[in-house]
Amino acid sequence: MMQAKLRDLLITNILAIVLGLVASGLMLLFLGKNPVNAYSVLITSVVRDGYTFADIFVKATPLMFTALAFAFTYKANLYNIGAQGQFYIGAVIAAAGSLFLQNILPGWLVLIITLVLTIVGGGLWGAFIGFVKARYNSNEFLVSMMSTYVALAIMNYLLRTFLIEGKAEYPQTDALAAAVWLPRLIPGTRLHIGFVLAVLACVGVWVLLYKTTLGYRIRAVGYNAGAAEMSGINAKKLYILAFFISGALAGVAGFTEVNGVQHMLVQGFNPDLGAAGIGIAILANGNPIGIIFAATLFGALKVGGTIMGQMSGIPSSIIELMQGFVMVFVILSYFVRTWLENNREKRKLQKAVAK
Amino acid sequence: METAFFELRGISKYFAKVIANQDVSFSIQRGEVLALLGENGAGKSTIMKILYGLYKADEGKLFKDGKEIKIDSPKEAMELGISMIQQHFSLVPAHTVTENIILGNVKGIIEQKLLGEEIKRLAKLYGFELNPDDYIRDLAVGVQQKVEILKALYQKTNLLIMDEPTAVLTPQEAENLMGFVKDFTAQGNSVIFITHKLKEVMSVADRIIVMRAGRVYGDIKRAETNELELSKLMIGRDLNWVNKDERQESLDQEVRLELQQVTLQEKTGVPALKDISLTLHKGEILGIAGVSGNGQQELCEIVCGALLPTKGRVLLDGEDITERKIRDRIDLGIGYVPADRSSDGMIMDMSIAENMLLKSSYDKKWQKRGFIDKQKLNQYALQEIRDYSIKAPSPETIARGLSGGNQQKVVLAREVDNGEKVIVFDQPTRGLDLGAVNHIHQVILKERAKGKSILLVSTELSEIFALSDRIAILYKGEIQGVFNSAELTTEKIGLLMAGFREGEVSNDAG
Repeated sequence: MMQAKLRDLLITNILAIVLGLVASGLMLLFLGKNPVNAYSVLITSVVRDGYTFADIFVKATPLMFTALAFAFTYKANLYNIGAQGQFYIGAVIAAAGSLFLQNILPGWLVLIITLVLTIVGGGLWGAFIGFVKARYNSNEFLVSMMSTYVALAIMNYLLRTFLIEGKAEYPQTDALAAAVWLPRLIPGTRLHIGFVLAVLACVGVWVLLYKTTLGYRIRAVGYNAGAAEMSGINAKKLYILAFFISGALAGVAGFTEVNGVQHMLVQGFNPDLGAAGIGIAILANGNPIGIIFAATLFGALKVGGTIMGQMSGIPSSIIELMQGFVMVFVILSYFVRTWLENNREKRKLQKAVAK
Repeated sequence: METAFFELRGISKYFAKVIANQDVSFSIQRGEVLALLGENGAGKSTIMKILYGLYKADEGKLFKDGKEIKIDSPKEAMELGISMIQQHFSLVPAHTVTENIILGNVKGIIEQKLLGEEIKRLAKLYGFELNPDDYIRDLAVGVQQKVEILKALYQKTNLLIMDEPTAVLTPQEAENLMGFVKDFTAQGNSVIFITHKLKEVMSVADRIIVMRAGRVYGDIKRAETNELELSKLMIGRDLNWVNKDERQESLDQEVRLELQQVTLQEKTGVPALKDISLTLHKGEILGIAGVSGNGQQELCEIVCGALLPTKGRVLLDGEDITERKIRDRIDLGIGYVPADRSSDGMIMDMSIAENMLLKSSYDKKWQKRGFIDKQKLNQYALQEIRDYSIKAPSPETIARGLSGGNQQKVVLAREVDNGEKVIVFDQPTRGLDLGAVNHIHQVILKERAKGKSILLVSTELSEIFALSDRIAILYKGEIQGVFNSAELTTEKIGLLMAGFREGEVSNDAG
């Protein structure tokens, strides 16, 4: 019984990914490229050396955070479309905090303080959405979406004024001192400790949601706010809290990107982290553990796609198409699984009747 | 034997996980009233939905006048003269009576006036008092049902299927409906009643089909049977009915809960509750009778704290709790079994154990080092599953997969434990099968015997009479009077429920 379910889960998901690749392959044919060639380049390129392979996880790191941000509020039946903005707020705070503190305090302490600041900053930025939802019953979908533009404007403003680099040439900050870079996990690659942080965050969110009474209440409100309210649970308070946690998670992505990868803040970097996060969360059906795998898949596609573009002259935007196709098929596979499950039950019944 | 008007032969229907119907065969003659009797989940509605084209049978055949027919949609069913009135009406509240009746049967320019006349004539023919220009939203439930019936008549129906038609009606309205059924069938039309009320079956049906667990267990003429036999067929075993005489008289007369001149103003300015004063003693069951929608839910929610009264006070053991919120009142020992468990009482997508936790998630007893003490919670849930004989494989079973009766038992089990002092039951047995009803009644009496105070709201008079020590009647948000249950007769209570005051009742009844 359980085995049949697990078998379905594995087969349908793998099949979905394969179908997604086949469909994208057809698109490659239209472009006049040989898909078999392209895919062999894609696969060999990501495993050709340790640096590239490790980059998959570098790319997956911020995606896990923004996906968690969407998935967390989703469990409370709320939609946080503003992870991109919360990420920018986190990035601004990380850059400003690091630059300000790096000459005063030891590196490790700066990192810890900056992390806390991004959590608080991203969290408060998100909590505002929850607050207007709870207080004025405003639509969190729209408010969170618009808050991204506000965050973007704030970042751009600061990058042209207070945070602009020493020579004031480009809208970007000075480089961070090496002391406040996130430590590398594997020498010779870009893989930094932020990846561990991201995986821990996924596990932590899973524990919070499924093992604590707070998470229980958040899910209860998500499934049925009426019954939760009727049971003495203050749904409005939970809206604000859920958005705080969600914003904080997205904010930490800013920290890992600035202190772990870019080592500075550049205007308009990583503009599609929020959107990709939503896709990953949907791909994982909101499951925090599933997000680890889904984000890794997206990371691999991103790394492979860039190289594929460089090597075979295929536009790297084909990768977005592949992500889209894979997502569509994975979502379809949910329905296929339910259908398989129902049919199995039905056959069992008919067999029982026939006896 | 004459050819049957409609016949079902060997119909089977499988849903995932359940057999809804298995090898169901029966027929209906012209001019006959057929009752489809069975507990909830017996497959009555399913078989009728197959006849009405809403579901497709997996096996079996349908016949009309001896010829095989196929019904793939309600539209095809209507063309064959079949109409079905669902338990929840399918009317558009913002439209008029006329607009609702012609919905789906009109093309091009609508001649309002002409159609209105036709509907008036049709209504008159059956003695319905209806204004075709009234909006549905302004009509009482009983009148809305008449609109549904008219809709069927307008489509020249010969076979009218009604799903639990009397569930929403006052006794008087129900009687009117039975009158219509007799008129309608006298003209050679047929009616199928889906019901689980034995009394109704005995008063109106010509023939009775008893269903249990998706199969037909009896096809009997009314004249050849009695209520006892039918109930046995329906349940498959004997029941110990709650008997009033077995109960101990309440000894304790100490007041537990008191409502003092409680008024609840709606946003529209209309009072949902008006100047309500009630006392509830220890070890007492106070029944609240009334047609649904007369302020019952508001009353319950004021007691449990979901609504705060605009005026008046609520006292528990003499302490003013008017301003206390739901969570405080849970801690004070007020339990509440809401009428609509799926929207207010439980979380369908969570497990039984998780539903048990719903009202006490703040309580430290369910926590161990900051985490939910799953082992303890599961043990507790398992114990409740046994105590209340909830049919579920484990505490991890998702609530949605349970039958209505078992879901209700989950809520009941939780609230009985939460409500250490007062338990509010709002329609605790609505839509449940007899076995579950019986079990729930036993539980309520047991809690009363423990000295708990019970507020029992029900639209089912038999339930009110069987359990209550005292009965209050609610009509349009006002208490029509509080009586000892021995003082009331069904007729008197029916008139009180319909809005007559006590003085008027004795005049009318006299």
